[in-house]
Amino acid sequence: MLEKLLNILFSSRVLLPDLLFGVVFLVIVAAIAFSQKLDAERTYVLFNVLLISVLISLGFVFYAFLGFYTQYYESGSVLFGKLIYLDSISLFFKLIISIASVAVLIHVWVVGYKVVGEFYAIFVALVWGLFIMTMTTNWLMLYVSLEMVSICSYILVVFNKGKDNSEAGIKYLLFGATSSAIMLYGISLLYGMTGTLNFVGQEFTIFLGQNPTWIVQIAVFMAIGGLLFKLSAVPFHSWTPDVYEATPTPIVAFLSIAPKAAVILVLIRLFSSLSIDFRMIMAIIIMASITIGNFSALWQTNTKRMLGYSTIAHAGFMLVGLLATNTIGIQSTIFYITTYLFITLAAFLLIDLLALKTESYELESLRGLGQENIFLGLAAVIIMIALVGLPPTVGFTGKLLLFTALWESYQTSGSNMLLVVLIFGLLNTAISIFYYIKIPYFMIFKEPKIGVRYFQIGFIRKGFLLIFLFFIIYLFMRPSGLINLIESLKLA
Amino acid sequence: MNNFLLSALIFLPLAGSVMVLLLPSTYRDSFRWISIIVSVINLLNIISLYNNFDKHVSNYQFVEQHEWIRMSLGNLGVLSIDYLLGVDGINMPMLLLSGIVLLIGSISSFTIEYRQKAYHSLYLLLSGSIIGCFVSLDFFLFFLFFEFMLLPMYFLIGIWGGERREYAAIKFFIYTLVGSILILIVMIGLSMSVKDSFFSQETGRTVHTFDFRQLADFKNYIAHSILHPFEKQMIFGISARLFAFILLIVGFGIKLPSVPFHTWLPDAHVEAPTPISVVLAGILLKVGAYGFIRIAYGFFPDIAFQFTYIVAGAGVISIIYGAFNALAQEDLKKMIAYSSISHMGFVLLGLASLTVEGVNGAIYQMFGHGLVSAMLFLVAGVIYDRTHNRLIENFRGLSSAMPYFTLAVAVAFFGALGLPTLPGFMGEFFTIMGGFQSEILPNWVSMIAMLGIVLSAAYFLWTLQKMFFGTFWANRNQEENMKDLDFREIVMLYSLSALSIIFGIFPSLIFDISGESVKAFLNGF
Repeated sequence: MLEKLLNILFSSRVLLPDLLFGVVFLVIVAAIAFSQKLDAERTYVLFNVLLISVLISLGFVFYAFLGFYTQYYESGSVLFGKLIYLDSISLFFKLIISIASVAVLIHVWVVGYKVVGEFYAIFVALVWGLFIMTMTTNWLMLYVSLEMVSICSYILVVFNKGKDNSEAGIKYLLFGATSSAIMLYGISLLYGMTGTLNFVGQEFTIFLGQNPTWIVQIAVFMAIGGLLFKLSAVPFHSWTPDVYEATPTPIVAFLSIAPKAAVILVLIRLFSSLSIDFRMIMAIIIMASITIGNFSALWQTNTKRMLGYSTIAHAGFMLVGLLATNTIGIQSTIFYITTYLFITLAAFLLIDLLALKTESYELESLRGLGQENIFLGLAAVIIMIALVGLPPTVGFTGKLLLFTALWESYQTSGSNMLLVVLIFGLLNTAISIFYYIKIPYFMIFKEPKIGVRYFQIGFIRKGFLLIFLFFIIYLFMRPSGLINLIESLKLA
Repeated sequence: MNNFLLSALIFLPLAGSVMVLLLPSTYRDSFRWISIIVSVINLLNIISLYNNFDKHVSNYQFVEQHEWIRMSLGNLGVLSIDYLLGVDGINMPMLLLSGIVLLIGSISSFTIEYRQKAYHSLYLLLSGSIIGCFVSLDFFLFFLFFEFMLLPMYFLIGIWGGERREYAAIKFFIYTLVGSILILIVMIGLSMSVKDSFFSQETGRTVHTFDFRQLADFKNYIAHSILHPFEKQMIFGISARLFAFILLIVGFGIKLPSVPFHTWLPDAHVEAPTPISVVLAGILLKVGAYGFIRIAYGFFPDIAFQFTYIVAGAGVISIIYGAFNALAQEDLKKMIAYSSISHMGFVLLGLASLTVEGVNGAIYQMFGHGLVSAMLFLVAGVIYDRTHNRLIENFRGLSSAMPYFTLAVAVAFFGALGLPTLPGFMGEFFTIMGGFQSEILPNWVSMIAMLGIVLSAAYFLWTLQKMFFGTFWANRNQEENMKDLDFREIVMLYSLSALSIIFGIFPSLIFDISGESVKAFLNGF
């Protein structure tokens, strides 16, 4: 008994920064409950943003500080009776999620969204859920954190109440609940087969191998259903365009990277201990995601919807590294996610800055905006070719690494399926150019409806976008730093 | 040996591009001068490189090497990407050609009035990436510039082009992108199969390299790698190297363009503004041919040997098909575009022959066609600028109204159709001679190619006769617009004419440069 208590105490101490989130959540809820409406609403918003950003960064400083205690990270430490597993790779993914959340909060502030105070409380809870997801190796803990993320996302999606918004929210809720149910069913099957809830470890691997392959494949596929839903990979993708279209852009930007990063980490951990060949199903998921995402995006006239489909395609690309099932595959997946973080946040910020001018997300409304503001035109070109994966942007490096890993895997295993995925994925990037280029195309080629009226965007907005652009180009020129960092992570 | 001359060739235009972008629009008249000055400096630099080029050795000269990216791939070793530049006898003529044509293009850009800042910035960006593509000796760097050419080209056609510019620009973009993705697949495969012999020993790990010099050497292939030349690895039931070679010839065939991947070219050419047509026909098509020689043939000599028939066949079909199409065109620019397809076919034929004459002839043909096609598109531009009309049937007897122009046109047309002393003749003569001498190719292949020369004489002479002889007349009463060349046009057309005649009479200016490298290149077969 005493031992257990000591374990909990010790674990709590290691996880102090995470617990801080709980405190912050409570503080914000209390503050909102007891505060009256302030007159200067803007200062209120500003106050909130600064508060949260500072807290997130603070929490992270804690982590960095704890990073010195290498005994927790170097080998990975098991906490709370095997429920939590903390290692350097989860730290890295927390870093990605933290950057995304800080960027999204600044995005909200820079573009001037008016949000209610509860937004911050929910947002903190969402980030907390994601943090837990990055350090779990237990099915139940995974499910709990996933639900935590889902419920917070459902609320965030319908935050500014509109008709489209509630429709999207209901869709999101229904699809989410269904995939959670499927996931739970899969988990129960796996538990029945292996007798353990821990999905990383000898026990799981050995017992899983004793079952017929096709049953395990079905069970694993169901068990990762909820994860694929978060990743918006086919066949759990159909909520994506509607939700992306109707939801405030910063939240979409957040949903397009942070939950995906966490989910990919879980998948990395799960696949490293799978004892069956799951590549066939993965290959189908990847090819279907890339194709459906790209081909549906071709016909879109709304930029946010288009980016929604584009994230489906990118979900496929993220999984390519996992299909390669080698170390370089995992490393390149992590690299890809890190770079996609900058690209996708930049893309959503860009269309939001454009929408400030046009008050619309329709492609048609972008006519001539690039001529009226050359900076935004250039930014659009850079961001969109980064999404396609053309040099000189980091999108190219990411794809190159992924497909190098896949090629290597093909060379060692000789499985033609991998080569098919490789050629298929690469040819799809050629198709994707057609819709990505539409945004700069409308901005630069099409004449504005009523003459050219030059306009400026504020210094802070410009600077914020420039930071992303800098990373998109810089990481292409000098990827070594990031790659060395990823290499130094201890992969399970 | 490290020097900076080749880097200067790449970075000067890039710096110029940034400079144009940063200058305020009030300096709009100076942008065109920046383009011209940058191109002149580059040309002088290239001429000095040409003079200092050692003709008696076959290896790369003026080599510049800097470590760029070193990525550790875990158990697989290290991926090493270098900033590696250099020239040998194969890309030196191309470099010289780029210097000349880019200067002509920048002079021709004088007439661009619409959004000059963006135009000249993109033009300089394009110049830098073209030169970078020709001098890169690292596959990754080559691919980088190869891809990067697309973007400025897309905007240059799409914004400053003719009526159907948007369609033409996106078609060009997607075709070339598909091609470059096929090349990318092979690039990944090659780098995974080859190790840098020197660094691998030094570091004790497998260093995967993109270095052209290493990729061309069979000794560097890793045992059991998929593209190993002597172990017959299979992909989808065919040899892996064969598969890679097919991807490469499709990829570069799109760029070249070779029938049946040529359909983007007439659209792009017709819609592009004159200077961009000049650059497109003069240099960009040669990038495809250069890739054929350096990469497809250089790294896969064993497969290229088996593919002689197919490559030569594609060449001959391009020659004949392009010529017949050109014969049927009513639009002058379209006619010239199809004639480009026809003339680039000779490059494929010469290359496929795998003889000293043939390959040297192919390189010469690339150079000569670069000069002549630049002239041809300038000619079309001259007429279009005056009348906004390019239909051949709308003009007659221009020689009496525009004598200076007619002289330049005559040089261009006769140069293209292969009159001796002009560059077209030498290129076609040597490629066809190579075809006849080749031990693999039957003689009838080259005979069919000769038919192409006859056809090109037919369409060029007919056009000359229809447009320039007879009594002077222009449709829609545009006679008074048909003024003779102004000073700028005389400079461009006559300097190109002079160069054509010089290089036509002294083909050794190119053959001396390329000779040793071609010999070394053919030793691989």
